[in-house]
Amino acid sequence: MSRIETIISELSSISNNPRKAMEDYKKETGKGSVGVMPYYAPEEIIHAAGFLPVGIWGGQKSISKARAYLPPFACSIMQSVMEMQLEGVYDDLEAVLFPVPCDTLKCLSQKWKGTSPVIVFTHPQNRKLEAANKFLAEEYRLVREKLETILNVKITDEALNQSIETYNENRKVMREFTDLAANYPQIIDPRIRHAIIKARFFMEKSKHTAMVKELNSELKSLPVEAFTGKKVVLTGIMAEPNEVLDILKDNGFAVVADDLAQESRLFRNDVPSGTDPLYRLAKWWQEFDGCSLATDAKKSRGPMLMEMVKGSKADAVVVCMMKFCDPEEFDYPIYYRQFEEAGIKSLFIEIDLETTSFEQTKTRVQSFSEML
Amino acid sequence: MFTMGIDIGSSSSKVVILEDGVNIIAGEVIQIGTGSTGPKRVLNEALSKAGLKLEDMAKIIATGYGRSSVEEAHKQISEISCQAKGVFFLVPSAKLIIDIGGQDVKAIRLDSKGGVKQFFMNDKCAAGTGRFLDVMSRVLEVNLDEMAEYDARATEPATVSSTCTVFAESEVISQLSNGVAKENIIAGVHQSVASKACGLAYRCGVEEDIVMCGGVAKDLGVVRAISKELKKPVIVAPNPQITAALGAAIFAFEEVRGANK
Amino acid sequence: MTDTTAMSAKELLGFYQEELYEEARRAKKEGKLVCWSASVAPSEFCVAMDVAMIYPETHAAGIGARKGALDVLEVADEKGYNVDTCSYARVNLGYMELLKQEALTGITPEKLEKSPAARIPLPDFVITCNNICNTLLKWYENLAVELNIPCIIIDVPFNHTMPIPQYAKDYIAEQFKEAITQLEEICGKKFDYDKFLKVQEQTQRSVAQWNRIAALSSHKPSPLNGFDLFNYMALIVCARSKDYAEITFKKFADELEENLNKGIFAFKGNEQKRVTWEGIAVWPHLGHTFKGLKNLGNIMTGSAYPGLWNVSYTPGDMSSMAEAYTRIYINTCLDNKVKVLSDVISGGKCDGVIYHQNRSCKLMSFLNVETADILQKENGLPYVSFDGDQTDPRNFSPAQFDTRIQALDEMMKQNKEGVSNE
Repeated sequence: MSRIETIISELSSISNNPRKAMEDYKKETGKGSVGVMPYYAPEEIIHAAGFLPVGIWGGQKSISKARAYLPPFACSIMQSVMEMQLEGVYDDLEAVLFPVPCDTLKCLSQKWKGTSPVIVFTHPQNRKLEAANKFLAEEYRLVREKLETILNVKITDEALNQSIETYNENRKVMREFTDLAANYPQIIDPRIRHAIIKARFFMEKSKHTAMVKELNSELKSLPVEAFTGKKVVLTGIMAEPNEVLDILKDNGFAVVADDLAQESRLFRNDVPSGTDPLYRLAKWWQEFDGCSLATDAKKSRGPMLMEMVKGSKADAVVVCMMKFCDPEEFDYPIYYRQFEEAGIKSLFIEIDLETTSFEQTKTRVQSFSEML
Repeated sequence: MFTMGIDIGSSSSKVVILEDGVNIIAGEVIQIGTGSTGPKRVLNEALSKAGLKLEDMAKIIATGYGRSSVEEAHKQISEISCQAKGVFFLVPSAKLIIDIGGQDVKAIRLDSKGGVKQFFMNDKCAAGTGRFLDVMSRVLEVNLDEMAEYDARATEPATVSSTCTVFAESEVISQLSNGVAKENIIAGVHQSVASKACGLAYRCGVEEDIVMCGGVAKDLGVVRAISKELKKPVIVAPNPQITAALGAAIFAFEEVRGANK
Repeated sequence: MTDTTAMSAKELLGFYQEELYEEARRAKKEGKLVCWSASVAPSEFCVAMDVAMIYPETHAAGIGARKGALDVLEVADEKGYNVDTCSYARVNLGYMELLKQEALTGITPEKLEKSPAARIPLPDFVITCNNICNTLLKWYENLAVELNIPCIIIDVPFNHTMPIPQYAKDYIAEQFKEAITQLEEICGKKFDYDKFLKVQEQTQRSVAQWNRIAALSSHKPSPLNGFDLFNYMALIVCARSKDYAEITFKKFADELEENLNKGIFAFKGNEQKRVTWEGIAVWPHLGHTFKGLKNLGNIMTGSAYPGLWNVSYTPGDMSSMAEAYTRIYINTCLDNKVKVLSDVISGGKCDGVIYHQNRSCKLMSFLNVETADILQKENGLPYVSFDGDQTDPRNFSPAQFDTRIQALDEMMKQNKEGVSNE
């Protein structure tokens, strides 16, 4: 196997097996893991404590136990997370860090069925005010305090600033990766692209950075081959499960950029510089735009996506609509109209982690490819 | 030169045999769909009707929900593209297609060359599809092919407005027990189906000529309700159930002709 | 000037609701500013600036109650709004679209023509607050962008820990300052702090009368039927910072107290059991839900609704005002939510609880199971849950509702007779 194949294989394996990643980390460092619920939680605080931040994104599950606690109209991420809570899947986590940027998360934060302690914090939504930064920095201070108590460690400002640098390094490398991947769709197909990005949720960030950095330099050394398929930008919460990504690939689509909450939204902005790490982390949220969960009375997401399409020379946008995600569903009519006015083609597919049959998605994607 | 289009849906299987890309020499429908013996049977029926053998087909293209499981097909194309192709062939002035099938509803916008410009579908729930009408027809004890007649006699359409088929069923039962006339309930059922289809049509952009296809297009009550809602005339494609299979057969012809150049 | 002194509370309610819409229409005609506001957003700032206020949630509830929701829901559907989203938002965004079409083309769309809704003018700006849900942030973002107008945001972060910490109140109070700055720019005049104080004091008087009414349902038998409160709610939403609410509520409270003294009760001697209704009303089927319970002799004496507008604070104290607007029970942790509901149930001397699992409202539905469970362990009262929707008439099945409340009635009777519900 080439170096590229090896790296891809390792990262894919990690992204498919979070439990093993947790166990390996414990073996290596003696420290456990802290779960991180979506979205935009300050993982750096956990990292600074020396523990492994583990992303919780649900999974492909048939929902049965969770039905007792959650009606069917909750999004499938939360349905599957609740199902796994009830199965005890998360009980090895030392704690769970829980942000509440949507109504569903607010409710879920109050009913964790596992045994780990839950640390809830709230993002401010009047984000461009300085008062919002102060509020969030204070929320983060309390998060740090609670983590220190639960994990029995001291999290110093110095360690936190260091972790922020580690994370910013990872963000930079990831941006490079997504740009490069756009030029090598034959090697980095949609499934692989996703796996490399997802692996960062289960690895100590600097380790992930090292591997992706190497991958990037290996890719760069290869000649760019002409791509005869169509290039798309994905937008939404996530593009899972893998079957969806494979359908994109089978129909000749390459993902040249993304605006996904599980992917680029997490690393397109760096945490700004400064001396007070909690304030720096808070300011990241202020500077962040273009996500349905970050209130924006100007709704800059549409124009941002159109810029992304132009910049990446994409042929179209694929809207990966998480079923029952209110914030995403509210954004859609606005940016869709903007796309229509600008002549940008888009395809609407539904994301539902509980789906076992992908015929509908196949039909839509195939029809769309025939249309382009 | 003969080409064949096979459309395997969830509740029916259709085959069209096309001669030289213009003459429909067989167009068969069987009311059982993917995963059954339906596809094989309708294939044989079509061949026997045309007096041909499978080997006589220059190319076979499959479409529909069950298209990947048709072994005989050389290629598969989505039913969106096939509907567009088939309807455009039959009605060259078509700009908007409303296709209501057994388990889904689609609105397809065509460009001036009959290509797909945009499409929207509801493929996740039964409301507004043939399944919805099936359920209601059973509850009302009226055959599907009689629904339009009943509708024509309606004096005041009842409101059957539920987005959920199960709720709608209980609404209809409730209305029956309250003595609401079947004619009026059926008119309400048709309106409910129409509003679902029209919602998708509006998302696509409504432009004449509007053509309906799919099994439900045979129910003139639904056609009338859609026309009323859109305030525009609606053309029912001739033999509306085979339009996608026809489109597939045309695609097959075009590919053979293109390859021969 | 209409003489309102001889009007009954019911007449005042009708009169002032119409008056508020008329004021908004008149304001638009005279080139004055109109604002669309979230129902529990602070009204004091805009009223102090003489802005005419419209409340889309109340307007949508009215459309739902008058059976006009389907038309506008279809308009929203055509625009691409998923049926899974809040029906208040879809009704309003659909209605706004019709108003927009009319404004752009000069022609009144048919659906607008035949809508039973009160005619309202389009806003010059909007103000939103997320104390009752985060959907209000998305909905109002869309209004602002569709109409190209400013949006004032009062963000009250979810209170995962009680009591509400000072730093949260500070953040909210800072937003109050920002709102004032924005208003000065929008209105083109300086903010009158003296007037503002008077408006705050008026708001407190309205709230006091509203609380007076709500307290009356604790009497057994009750002179007040909770469903009536759903109707009077319109004024606490739309007019709490004006004297309309104070006048009407005082009259209503007086009437109810008089009835109480005379031994006249809401169900006139047929009060069998008392229930708490947890959740929003099912506006398109209000009559059915009310009659269903009434026929069983079950009066609704418990509801968390009155408490939503119990925005009691010290006029002149921004921090106190901030706390009042953030402590809404659905903006707090489960412990607090349960405590509030527990007080509602015991205050209303209730025998059972009805949970409205609202298809349109995730915030008010996803904790129902846990809430019901905790409360039942605490008070032993039976409860049922039914599927409904606040404004989308399609998400309710009358037969299901009837079955469920009948079951609750039977459980409450069993409970009364000392037979266990286990």
